Parts: sequence; C-alpha cells; structure tokens
Amino acid sequence: MKVSDSWRFISTIAKKEIIEFLRDWRTLLALIVIPLLIFPALFIALPLLLQSEAAELDALELDVTWQGDINNELHDSFNDSKLIINFETIPEDLENLSDIGGDLDRIRNQETKAVFRLVENESGWKFSILYVSTSEASSEARSRIIDAISVWESEVVNGTLVEAGLEPESTLDPVQWDGNVESADAATKGEQAGLVLSLFIPMVIAIWTASSAIQPSIDMTAGERERGTLEALLCLPCSRIQLLAGKWLAVASITSAGVALQIGGLLFAITYLASSSIIGVPSLSISSILLLLSAVVIFAIMVVAFELALAMKAHSVKEAGSLLGPAILFIIFPALFTQVINLDSVESWWFAIPLVNILLAMRELLLDRIIVEHVLVWLISSVFYATLAAWFAAKQFKREDLVASLS
Amino acid sequence: MGQTLLTLTNVAKSFKEVEALIKVDLEIESGQVVGLVGGNGAGKTTLLRLMAGVMEPTKGTIYFQNNPVSSMRDKLGVVPESTGLYSRLTAWENIRYHSRIYGISDEVAWNRVSHFAQMLDLNDSLSRHTKGFSRGMRQKTALLRALAHGPDILLLDEPTAGLDVTSARTVRKLVGQLRDEGGTVIYSTHHLAEAQQVCDRIIIVHNGTIRADGSPNELLELTGKDSLEEAYVSLTSDKARTRTEDTKKESKLSKWWRMFLTGRTPKIEGVDESE
Repeated sequence: MKVSDSWRFISTIAKKEIIEFLRDWRTLLALIVIPLLIFPALFIALPLLLQSEAAELDALELDVTWQGDINNELHDSFNDSKLIINFETIPEDLENLSDIGGDLDRIRNQETKAVFRLVENESGWKFSILYVSTSEASSEARSRIIDAISVWESEVVNGTLVEAGLEPESTLDPVQWDGNVESADAATKGEQAGLVLSLFIPMVIAIWTASSAIQPSIDMTAGERERGTLEALLCLPCSRIQLLAGKWLAVASITSAGVALQIGGLLFAITYLASSSIIGVPSLSISSILLLLSAVVIFAIMVVAFELALAMKAHSVKEAGSLLGPAILFIIFPALFTQVINLDSVESWWFAIPLVNILLAMRELLLDRIIVEHVLVWLISSVFYATLAAWFAAKQFKREDLVASLS
Repeated sequence: MGQTLLTLTNVAKSFKEVEALIKVDLEIESGQVVGLVGGNGAGKTTLLRLMAGVMEPTKGTIYFQNNPVSSMRDKLGVVPESTGLYSRLTAWENIRYHSRIYGISDEVAWNRVSHFAQMLDLNDSLSRHTKGFSRGMRQKTALLRALAHGPDILLLDEPTAGLDVTSARTVRKLVGQLRDEGGTVIYSTHHLAEAQQVCDRIIIVHNGTIRADGSPNELLELTGKDSLEEAYVSLTSDKARTRTEDTKKESKLSKWWRMFLTGRTPKIEGVDESE
C-alpha cells in the first residue's frame, strides 16, 4: 500500500472525527471555550472575591470579652480595631489563663467572638485569648487582638529600653541586611517566573490532556461500537492500524487544541491580569521550548493511545466511562508527587518512571535547565512508553470481537 | 453463468467453544442476487462478515477473484444491519466520508449517488443531518453509501428489517434494478417470501451449516415440498442452537453479586439452571 493511500485514510478519518466532534456545542464549550477562559476568569474573579471577602471582614464590629486587669493604651488600640469590649473579672479556679473553664459554651456558641484575659504581676503582663479556630469571626477577633498587643508590646519594650539608656533599633535588631533583598537574587525575573510556573504548568498539562481526551476517546470507540457505526467502518479498505491512527490524530488534535488554548489563556492572564509580582512570563531558550513541546507531544501520544485502547476494550459508553474515569487518578497522583521532588539533587532514574519522567522534564525545562543525561533518559523512556501504549491500543483495535455477534 | 467473484473453501469460524460456521463451501457468481436465509443465530451475519473481510475464518479460505478477500475490500459494498450512520453528519457527508476512503472523487461519488437517490426518493434529504432520519431513510442512505464507489458485490445484512412496507418495497426494487444492470448482491434475510421475490439463488443457513443452495425451484425439487416455507422447515428440522459467542459462563462471584442485587430468578419446572 502506498504511503499516500495510507495518509489519505488517516487524514480522512481524523478530519471526519474532528468535524463531527466540533458540531456538538457542548463539546465546543467543554474543550475550547472553558480551557481558553478558565485562567483569565480565575485571575479576575479570584482577586475580586478575596478583596470583597477581606473588605467584608474588615468592616465587621466584633464583640470581645476582656477579663482581668485593664490597660488604657491597649484599650484605645482595641477600640481603633473595631472591637466592642465587654469587661469582666477573671473566673476563679483557673489553672492558667489559657484554661477555658466556664467560658467554653459561650465561645463555642459565639455569644462572644473571643475572650481576652490580661493579668499584671511583678515581672510584667500575662495574657491569653480564648477563641474558636474554625470560626472566621472568632479568628479575626483573635488576629485583631494580637495586632493590638504587638503594637502595645513594642511601645512597652521601646519605653523600657529608652529608660535604660539604650537605643531600641540597634538593641533589638543588631544584625541587619544591607541594601535591597531582591537585588541580591542572581535569578532573573524570567527564571523566577519559570520556577513558579513549573510548580503547576506540568500538572495542568498532564491533568487537562488526560481528562480532555476521555470524552473523544470514548465517543470514537465505545460510542461507535454502541451506535453500530464501527462495523461499517471496519468494512472499509483501510487497516485497523490506519483506523486507530486516524482516531488517535483526531483525539490528539482536539486535546492539544484544548491544552494550547489553556496555556494561551494562562499566559494572557499572567501577562495582563496578574497583580502579583511573583508570576510572569518565563524566559526560555529555543531548545527548552522545543524539548518542552516534544515532551507534551510524547505525553499526548501515550495518554491518548492508552485511553483509546481502554475505551475500545469496553463494550459500551457506560463501561468505558467507568474504566477511564478512575484512570485519571493515575495521572493526578504522579502529577502531585512530582511537585515535591527537589530538582537540584534529582537522580537520573526518576526520569525513567512513567508519567513522572515527563512531568519532571517539563518542570526542569520551565526552569530553562537542559541536562543532557536527563533529557536522554526521559526522551528514550517516554518514546518506549508511548510505543507500548500505541501497541496496546493497536492490539485492542485488532480484536475480532469488536464486531462479533452471531445471527 | 457469470464470472466467479467470491470463493469460499472449507470455511469454518469459531468463537472460543462456539462453532458459528462449520465447513462452508460456496461460489458466488457475478450477476446474481443471492439470499442467505436462516433464523437468529444461524450464522448468516458471521458468513457475511467473513465475506466482507471484517473477520478471518478459523479454517479455510475466502478469495475474491483469486485474492484473499481482506485485501479486496475496495471491491465490496457493505450495508450492516445497524446501517452505521453518523447522526451529526448529513446523509451526503456520511456517503462522502466512505467514498473518500475508497479513493473516489466527490464528483464521481455524487453522480453515482444522485442516480440511485432519485430511485430511492432520497434526493431532497441528502443535505439533512441523519439524526432525525427514519429507519427507512437510514437504510436507504446506507445503501447509497455502499454503492457510491461502484462495488463489484453488494453485501446487505437484513436490509428490510424494521422497514415499513413502502420502504422495504423500494429497497427490493433497487436490488432488482442492480441485478438487471448486471450487479451482484448477497442479501441476508429472515423472510423466505422476500428471498423468493428478490433472489435468484437461496442459501439456507442453519446452526452454522449450509443446508441447501439453489434457485427457489431447485429447493422445492430437492425437498419435494409444495412451498418454500415447508421446504425450509424440512431442511432445518433439528433444534436451533441458542448459544452465541457473546454468552460467557457466569463466574460464581458474578452470580452471587447478581443474586445479591436482584434476587434469585424463579425456577421454571423442568429447566436445569446450570445449563
């Protein structure tokens, strides 16, 4: 068979699959619109949400119970922090000030957001704050009290030092950084951005590639089987390997488009929408970019082939969904695991572990590090795994029972 | 007598322990409409799939003009029972998809298709999505798709099953015209009357074997019966098998789980559950 014939079969099958897939508006929404908009939306919505929540919390006036001795300066500071104080005496029979004692119920019921206890003795002041860590209002009350105490304590310490004839700044902070902390970092802004992105871009690519390939994989295999379109397809003069290649090309194209749009959306968001200085566009060499693309392509070959094979193994769409749904965990766990591996002292054998190798490679390349030994190990092992996945898929596509039914 | 197109020699097909076809020898000549007649599970569809090159025989050979049939699939046109149309594509896009894989230009395919579409009264529906098509329209579209590349043999698996009277009649009329034009059609059906009406030659398949092969008159002569129905009954008097290759022995765990979820199936007197 001529190569041109083979390509005609593969491209015709792939083209039809893509056209048919894109005619479904739900697919367009799930695989094109959502990936494109998810990061920009996240970068706009998340800061807005956080700001609005913070403003809402700042505006709250919180009831706080003050037990024990009173300090006027601290009291003024509490009033400035929108804390409404209710004074009481300290309960008796407490082991120490942190002993909640009889105040347990009213704190848990949030009748008072926090209880502040203060006692003056010969050596100075002792205090405690009783609160509920699972309540946002109670935690906020505690936080405001601690801030007020910190300011007051600083004033007390400074006063004591001045009274003793000491200079507060040189006494409390005798070892000081000279100059600008940021300018002492030899890493460029682009490299710093690469480090931040390397912590989540590989995970995003891995999870999105695997999850977005599920639906088309099922539709083009178990779906065709269930709808009865597969038999007519198998009667055509193309081989099953060509059929698999056409379907693989279609799923890989759809998935790649989704990943590319998602990365595009992310880069747009970090360039134009991010308010934080720690994220930005990474500076990568051409070699790193090309190797990064190769890693993504090999990963896509492997994942898509594996998912097509699993979906083809199933007798129905439902069965395929049950098989492929949990399979995504095999991507998520290595992806999470890879984030904690220290790249500075990573051994080369890590780059031979399936999935972990590609994810580590992407992390390293986003830092613009090209270590030849690592590249060779992940490249060779990944091609091997991708070939294995393709072989498994081919085996599933050659199964005779894809059409078998006696009549 | 036409030229021999398909030759099946000593063909057998097994699915694990189930013998779907046993020792089939057949020759299909050009210009014939051949009917494969048999009940459910007789082996008609398996035989058609082997002829279409979708399956390989366990034993024996199937040749299309001295070449293995699997390498000559471009000479065949197949309409499976399920029709196999994509609902998000129009009728013409479904046809074009297959004809492009056959290497036929869109223009040539369109000319062939529009000729037959007129006869099937499907001209106006070619640009419509097949999602809303009736069973009859789907069957007609699948027929057009199988004819678009000008096959030497057309293999039809129960083409009139589930069709209304008018649609079934139109399909039969098309098959008749193909025969008149010298075409070769292999036509599987449950219905003897239909086979008698459409086919020059009837092959009766039962329990994976060929029980009779000849023209309707030859079958009557062979059995000495007055009607084809009586002839068919006399040729297939042994009990039809019920097992198919889809039937797997249920594991103990699976059986326990089934009964745990849905309860025990009531016993029918005289039937052994382990069978």
